[in-house]
Parts: sequence; C-alpha cells; structure tokens
Amino acid sequence: MGAPQASIRRLALTRQVIYVLVAAAVIVPFLVHFPLEGKPSRVTKALFDKVQALPDGSVVLFSFDYDPSAMAELYPMSLALLRHCFRKGHRPIVMTHWANGVGLCKELVERASSAVGKKAGDHYVLLGFKPGYSNLILNMGESLQGAFDKDYYGNPTQGMPALEGVHSLKDIPLVVDIAAGATVEMWIAYGRDRFGFELGAGCTAVIAPDLYPFLQSGQLVGLLGGLRGAADYEVLLERPGSGLAGMQAQSVTHVLIIGLIIAANVAFLWRRRKT
Amino acid sequence: MWFKRTIPLLICFVVGTLAFVHEFVPHPLAGTFRQEMTTWFRIIGGFGLFIGAYSLLHMHVTRIRRRQAGWAYSAFVFLGAALMIAFGLYNGGAGPLAPPPGEDTMFQWLYMNVQVPCGATIFSILAFFMASAAFRTFRARNIEAALLLVAAVIVMFGRVPISEALSTVFPKAADLLMEYPNMAAKRGILLGISLGMISQSLRILFGIERSYLGGGD
Repeated sequence: MGAPQASIRRLALTRQVIYVLVAAAVIVPFLVHFPLEGKPSRVTKALFDKVQALPDGSVVLFSFDYDPSAMAELYPMSLALLRHCFRKGHRPIVMTHWANGVGLCKELVERASSAVGKKAGDHYVLLGFKPGYSNLILNMGESLQGAFDKDYYGNPTQGMPALEGVHSLKDIPLVVDIAAGATVEMWIAYGRDRFGFELGAGCTAVIAPDLYPFLQSGQLVGLLGGLRGAADYEVLLERPGSGLAGMQAQSVTHVLIIGLIIAANVAFLWRRRKT
Repeated sequence: MWFKRTIPLLICFVVGTLAFVHEFVPHPLAGTFRQEMTTWFRIIGGFGLFIGAYSLLHMHVTRIRRRQAGWAYSAFVFLGAALMIAFGLYNGGAGPLAPPPGEDTMFQWLYMNVQVPCGATIFSILAFFMASAAFRTFRARNIEAALLLVAAVIVMFGRVPISEALSTVFPKAADLLMEYPNMAAKRGILLGISLGMISQSLRILFGIERSYLGGGD
C-alpha cells in the first residue's frame, strides 16, 4: 500500500511544481519586457496581401465564429484584420454563427471603428447572429438582405450605404472566417465553392493543421493560425497589439514544455537502461 | 408504426432527394426551393436552441432535486441564467423585442465583465493540464513515438519567434512538417471522413440507417 500512495503523492507534487512553472512562464514575460518579432509566415502574408490588394472601399465579410473561451487566441487577429480594413477604407460586414459571440463582435467592431471615426451603417455593418449555420450561408448566397433584413442595431439592411452594390455573397470579393470550430469547412463547402468569393481564415492553433489541405488546393487564400498568426499580422500591419505582446509568454511556455518533455524522456531512458 | 416509422422515412427520402437533386437543376424554381428550405431549416434550428436550453435546465433541476455532488453549482447555473435573461429582456430599458440601444446595456456589461473573463480563464487552464500531461505521458517508447515526439518538439519550437533568434532552420522545419507530412495525413483523413459521410447520407436517405428515429430497430 505504501508504494502506490508514495507514487500518487509524488505525482501530485510533480503536477503542482509544473503548474507553478507554467504560471511563472506566462506571468514573468509580461513583467520583463523582451520584444520578440518573428518573420511572418507565408500563409499569414498571403491573407494580408489579399486584403491589401483589394480596391479601396471593397466589402469584406467577417464571420467571427467563436466565443469568450477562444478570445485570447482569436480576438487579437480579429482586431488586426478590422483595423487593416478600416485603414484601407474597406467596408467590413461583421456576423457570427455563434450565439455566444455576438457581444464580442459588437465590442470588436466598435473598438476598431471608433478609433478611426467610422460609423455603423455608413462604413461598416454589424449583422450579429442568426441560427442556421450552412443554411444561413446558402440564404446569404441568395440574398444578403433576405437573410439579414435588419442589422444588430435594428436598422434595415435594405438601402444601407455600407451595403451599396451588395445583394448577396456573390457581390463580396473576400470573406474571412475566424473560427474556434468547424465553420471554415462550412464556409468552403456552402459559401466559397458555391458563390465564388475568396476565403481567408483565422483559427485557434489546434485547428490550423486541419486547414492546410485547403491552403494547398487554393480554397483558402491565407490562414492565421493561433496567437502567432495574430502577431504576424500585427507585424505586417506595423501596429503592435496583444498578439505580439503574447509572443513572449507563448515562447517561454513552449520552451518550458519542450524542456519538461526532454527531461521526462531522459529520465525515462535512464530508468529503462537501468532495469 | 405508420406515424412513427413510415411517415418520417418518407419525409426524409423526399426532402433529402429534393435537396440533392435541386443542386443540378438550373431552373429558377430550384433557387426558390432552396431559399424556402433553408428558411425552414433555420426555423427548425431556432427550435433546437429552445430544446438545448430546456435540456440543460432539466439536467440541473434533477441534480438539485437529488442533491447530487456539486448541486450548488447547478443552482448557480440558474442564478446566472436568470440574471442574463432578466437583463436581456430589460434590454437597457428598450424592452425585449426592441433592437439593443446604442449605449452598452447591463447585459453587455455582464457579458464583457463576467462571461468573457470566466470563459477565457477556463480555456487558459488547458495550458496547465497540457504541460502536465506532456511531462507525464509523452515518451519515446518506440520508433513511431520517437518520431512523433521529435516532430512535436520541432513544431512547438519553430512556431514561436524565440526559435528564430537562434536559427531560421527551426521555423523552416516547422513549416515543412506542417505543409507536407501533416497536410498529407490530414487530406487522407478528410477523404475518409467525406466518403463515410456520403455513404452514411445514402443509408439515411434510403431508410437503411434508422437509428436517428430512436427506439432501436
């Protein structure tokens, strides 16, 4: 009985030590400033270039399909993309497939727009949430104003200056889905392949590997993967934000985890050689 | 039997077949049909939200009634839901069916200052569990596990900018792993899933797969 109990105690102690180390790896880099700026990845640059290359005043649809739990990873890239659009004079249309994400959409678009004096309805549209997922995309492909007859603030979308010349998804050159779930695949199958717009994506780091086949096939023009994607976009935009700030903590935490894995494997191999 | 089996199977076959066939019909009627169907689906999706809410609340009522372990947390679910529903209906004084007023409401305040930090906190706890799990279980027990471990370490290190300070080899190696072996494996998995979905859809359409009707058989 003594040996298993000692083993459990040792395990609990190890876990506590790891938790303290991870906490320190996250907190300390925010206190000790050491700027880390990596070279933006090819896939991030591709999306940046796409937004940059659109003629001024183009409409860009953003689908922010995440909720507060993924905010730390996805909020910085959403903000950077919106800022880029407003800088270029584009007209962002913001919506979400996640009922829990409406508040974030509102906060995001109002934060990005108020800094540059842009107004809802005139320079951007906040459509908010509607249920339906793929069916909502199909509806929007038939008629955007039919799918969303009013914006988040209750104003009719018909005749809205920011939607001038936009009747359906076919009139939108670029859609960007920022996702914490499987909505990117949905936008590809029911939106991009059917209505012909270009599609960019941003996602949590854990989802990014799933989307690489769509990059190679050209169904995605670019991809922002996790906080690193946001940091890369901020570098390209030349406007540092919380994505870049988070790189310090993420770098140290990654190094710590790699160190833990190596230490555990050295101990494992040493024990195996002994026995 | 007629109402529980035959009619649902017929509806499934007719609607499923029409939904499939109309994609290949370039007639305006096909467009109207799609518009109508997707509106119906969205309405049904709206009802799904009610069913989800009912199911959640029912589960927590049962936990409180039976005084199961952690029942106080269930009571907290009701407190949170009641507060959010009340402020949502109040809607900053505009009323339940009016559009949200321009200035921030109490609902939005609670969302930004309670739900957002709570949600982010729960998700961030994952970092601690992942570090602990990686330390305890990620072992090079054989060649395959060793390969996986080396790939994981390269990607983890190559994806953070600190690696570039040492050498540009790490980010390049990480990109290489993501763009070739990872993509090839993911594509294979995607193809497998897609073929499985097609065969399952056909089974449902032709009434071979009936588990969605419930009650076995």
